[in-house]
Amino acid sequence: MHKIKRTFIYSILSIFAIISIFPFIWMIVSATNKSVDVTKGRLLPGTHLVENFQNLLNTVDLVPALVNSAIITMATTVLSLIIASLAGYGFEIYRSKAKDVVFTILLVSMMIPFAALMIPLFRMFGTISQIAPGIGIDTLTSAMLPSITTAFLIFFFRQNTKMFPRELLEAGRIDGLTELGVFFRIFVPTMKTTYAAAAIITFMASWNNYLWPLVVLQSPENHTIPLLISNLGSSSSPDFGIIMTTIVIATLPTALIFFLLQRHFVAGMMGSVK
Amino acid sequence: MKKLLALIMVCMLLLAACSSGSSNGTESEKGSADANEITVWAWDPNFNIKALELAKEAYASENPDLKVNIIENAQDDIVQKLNTSLSSGTTKGLPNIVLIEDYRAKSFLQAYPDMFHPLTGSFETKDFVQYKVEATSVDGENYGLPFDTGATGLYVRTDYLAEAGYTVEDLQNIDWKEYIEIGKKVKEATGKRLLTYDPNDLGILRTMIQSAGKWYVKEDGTTIDLANNEALKLSFKIYKELVDNDLMNFHSDWNEFLATFNGGEVATVTTGNWITPSIKAEASQSGKWAVVPHPSLPGMESVNASNLGGASWYVLDVPGKENAVDFLTKTFGSNVDLYQKFVTEIGAIGTYIPAAEGEAYKTKDEFFGGQSIVSDFSKWAEEIPQVNYGMHTYAIEDILVVAMQNYLAGQDLDKVLKEAQQQAETQIK
Repeated sequence: MHKIKRTFIYSILSIFAIISIFPFIWMIVSATNKSVDVTKGRLLPGTHLVENFQNLLNTVDLVPALVNSAIITMATTVLSLIIASLAGYGFEIYRSKAKDVVFTILLVSMMIPFAALMIPLFRMFGTISQIAPGIGIDTLTSAMLPSITTAFLIFFFRQNTKMFPRELLEAGRIDGLTELGVFFRIFVPTMKTTYAAAAIITFMASWNNYLWPLVVLQSPENHTIPLLISNLGSSSSPDFGIIMTTIVIATLPTALIFFLLQRHFVAGMMGSVK
Repeated sequence: MKKLLALIMVCMLLLAACSSGSSNGTESEKGSADANEITVWAWDPNFNIKALELAKEAYASENPDLKVNIIENAQDDIVQKLNTSLSSGTTKGLPNIVLIEDYRAKSFLQAYPDMFHPLTGSFETKDFVQYKVEATSVDGENYGLPFDTGATGLYVRTDYLAEAGYTVEDLQNIDWKEYIEIGKKVKEATGKRLLTYDPNDLGILRTMIQSAGKWYVKEDGTTIDLANNEALKLSFKIYKELVDNDLMNFHSDWNEFLATFNGGEVATVTTGNWITPSIKAEASQSGKWAVVPHPSLPGMESVNASNLGGASWYVLDVPGKENAVDFLTKTFGSNVDLYQKFVTEIGAIGTYIPAAEGEAYKTKDEFFGGQSIVSDFSKWAEEIPQVNYGMHTYAIEDILVVAMQNYLAGQDLDKVLKEAQQQAETQIK
């Protein structure tokens, strides 16, 4: 009886696993096929990967787009981890009457969709461009700034800080650490898993970010990977082999980061639930 | 404390890296306002972008001083960028020239009239096919320089037709009723359906009603015209007949669309001439295709010509507009040789009438059994009835997609269209 139950569960799980993994397999297989074969729905690996890759390098500036995406993503991840963790820590550890009000406002701001903020934000950057063109429209900084920290990330860090043992904090203070010292020498090393989870979330969001970079980055030399992929599909006779190859390349960094930090990610996410 | 210092250093370094990386961007930004540089946005690297590069080349031979930056963006991306910039009133980063699809043009021109630079008088409108001039003008003022035609044709598989006992001659200037009858016979003989369509894209309806000089809106471009639109009613009936007789194959995306005709699954393809390169992509079918005039609507005033898609060039009212106008009028606005290159190198058919006299237009295409398809398409383009596309083509079509499903499910046609009319009127006001 037990065995039948197990077999049943495993077969159901296998079906779901296949369903969720199939798009990835199809993506990788398509990257090795010609465009015509992709449209015909060929599911067997082909021999055109190198050809697709060369065509890709010939048609678009892949490397600059990768570099742009890397700069924006890394800067966003590092900065938002620092800012959000400091904010989340502050919200949980320190006492203030206004704290809860401020935090509620912050949570409410999570409910406003980005599309509604886009036009005012663009206007704002239009004005900034006149004062400081270096961080105005059509600069990598402008693509990065609005996502440098999010209400969600602050919330995430605050929830996790609840698990942080206060005794450690007191011990640090007694041993003569400054408040920042406590944060950097005790809090940060203890909360590694939380940082890992937050890093994955931010990295993925920033790497795949499309709408804001789309409106704010005008020059082709500033384009990021998602914009490049969007352009590849703009033709009325698109080359799906090239598109799939680009998507594989664009997926690699996120996959890599995820697998490297996977162990911490699960632990970090569990922490936020407790 | 050292760690903190190091951290701050790293942050500063990152910010510095970003701003130095972006300084290139700001320079070209300033550059576009420069007297000798213009920027153009367009989509489709194999079509519009190539056409621009040819135009740039032709222009540079006489005007070497002007630098033309061609920037490729997907069409939806251009729409998004334009809407954000124009509605926030920030012209920074906008190009001098932008390509806009004809169906969408009026929504931009009427929503942001001051942002576009009028072209009235800078080119000969009578040299361009009339439906295109209408699509690019508002209140008698020309804003767009017409580019490619979406002139439609009926691409047919001559081998399938032959199996059912038809020749290409039997399909010249037919109406939709005759087309359906032929389709039934072809299906009997070959087992192939007549055509394939995406149920979420009613392009076929647009081509039907435009062949009768009608649109989803009346001539003023704003009055919704669905409930009492006889051409639309008839088009709905024909669509249903195609579905009921199992002559219509459904595909869900572009990918599948190409695969259906490349794989020989359908006997005909009815769409704009821009599909030609995709049809020719399957080289093994060379000699098996022909193009005949688009079917007309039976029993009413309707021609054997219609349009699907097509775009035009618009000049934005930002510094450098004089150069932009000069570039457009000397290339797309008057250069016959350039249009020959569009045909031979890209397969793009323009709407500039004098160009049709050129050699390239008369070339016979072996893929289509030696037919001069370019000259045929440009002949049909001149017959396309002009209509006012108005501002809401795609919004109305979203409503009609639902209406069509209700009609196919058995609801009464008049009721379905009346409801669509009401919905469109409340939604679009």
